[in-house]
Amino acid sequence: MALANATQIVDFADALTRSADSIHDRLLTAIRNNEVDHPTAQMIFQDESILRQRANGLYIDAASCVVAGLDEAQKSVIDLVDTANARMRKIKEMAQLIDLVADLLLLATATYAAKPRPIIAALKEVRRDVEALTGKA
Amino acid sequence: MITSRLLAAVSLSLVLTGCANLQDVRDFAGESAKLSAYTELTTRFRDTYQREQPYLSGPVEQQAQANDKRRRDAYPDLLKIHHGVALYMQTLATLAGDDAFDLSPAMDSLTSGIKAYPEGGIDSRQVDAYASMARIVAKWMTSAAQEKAVREMVMEGDPSVQAILDGMAALVSYYRKTNDNERKAVLGFLEVELAFAGAPKDKLLAALGKAHLQAKIREYQVADARYGEAEAGIASIKEGHKALARNVDNLSSAEAKAQIKKLTKDIKAIRSNLQAASAY
Repeated sequence: MALANATQIVDFADALTRSADSIHDRLLTAIRNNEVDHPTAQMIFQDESILRQRANGLYIDAASCVVAGLDEAQKSVIDLVDTANARMRKIKEMAQLIDLVADLLLLATATYAAKPRPIIAALKEVRRDVEALTGKA
Repeated sequence: MITSRLLAAVSLSLVLTGCANLQDVRDFAGESAKLSAYTELTTRFRDTYQREQPYLSGPVEQQAQANDKRRRDAYPDLLKIHHGVALYMQTLATLAGDDAFDLSPAMDSLTSGIKAYPEGGIDSRQVDAYASMARIVAKWMTSAAQEKAVREMVMEGDPSVQAILDGMAALVSYYRKTNDNERKAVLGFLEVELAFAGAPKDKLLAALGKAHLQAKIREYQVADARYGEAEAGIASIKEGHKALARNVDNLSSAEAKAQIKKLTKDIKAIRSNLQAASAY
């Protein structure tokens, strides 16, 4: 719908551009036939240029129209991105949970062997896993 | 064995609900570079006044300054449109990627953990058998989950993606029209002034002017080509996403056969692992 409004604006702007083009062609012919002096030619060229600037102004209006009309679609696309990220995060959390279980088992093994260094190393891994899972990592 | 028949039934149903053509999705999502011309042309649009200013004067220049301010104000929103669709394509690529739904590394570390635990009472060979089964089942389950997620994203996303790309195509056409007016204003000014620079005292001015005019003509020729490229890129992405939404469910019969073959192989592997595990 916004595109339809924009199209109306653009049609009008295109008409202004075409008028400017006609003036330019006529001006060149007049110059070739020595129908105009320099100051007059410059004046006519200014008229042509004003039309072009007005047309360009309308193209900006049309662009703003299009942008406003895309609000919904933009939001929708961002929502889909968020959903996808949430799903991928869930799988990642599953992997982190499995890692935690694996490291807990290693901790149990180290504790069973009763040697301090492996126990401390295993404890560090477990803490890292918990931090990753709770999002502090 | 009842267990293996049950397993087969479960796996098959998971596979069939999940089917999606992930490679097509990955290939499509890699094409997002085709939209980069849009950002370049948006910046060129914003800088229109900078380029045309030397050739303007009086009320024309005032109008041009007003236009300039409005273009600069609109610029961030114009860029945001590209950002949204590029992020969507990037996320889709990651979602359909090999790593996104892969649990095997975590499961492998779990297996080593179990094996290392002496009081567990599980023989190492049993652990391997259980681990293999778990890995296979997890792969099919996460595969199905991945394909479902991708399929849903593509199908839900298509209307919005088409709308945004249509908008981008319209904007590129407005950029092109603005550029046309800029070109005609600049070249027109030079044409008109050069036509009156015929006097002997103006010889140097005329020569400089003509050289400048030729340089400007070339400059605009190069710029004009970019609009066509941008339009073609946008059209290509539009068609690509539409095709994805149409076909994301359809594996070709060759691919379907390959999927079923793999499933059969995995069911056999599970069955032999079950036997190995229960032998102890």
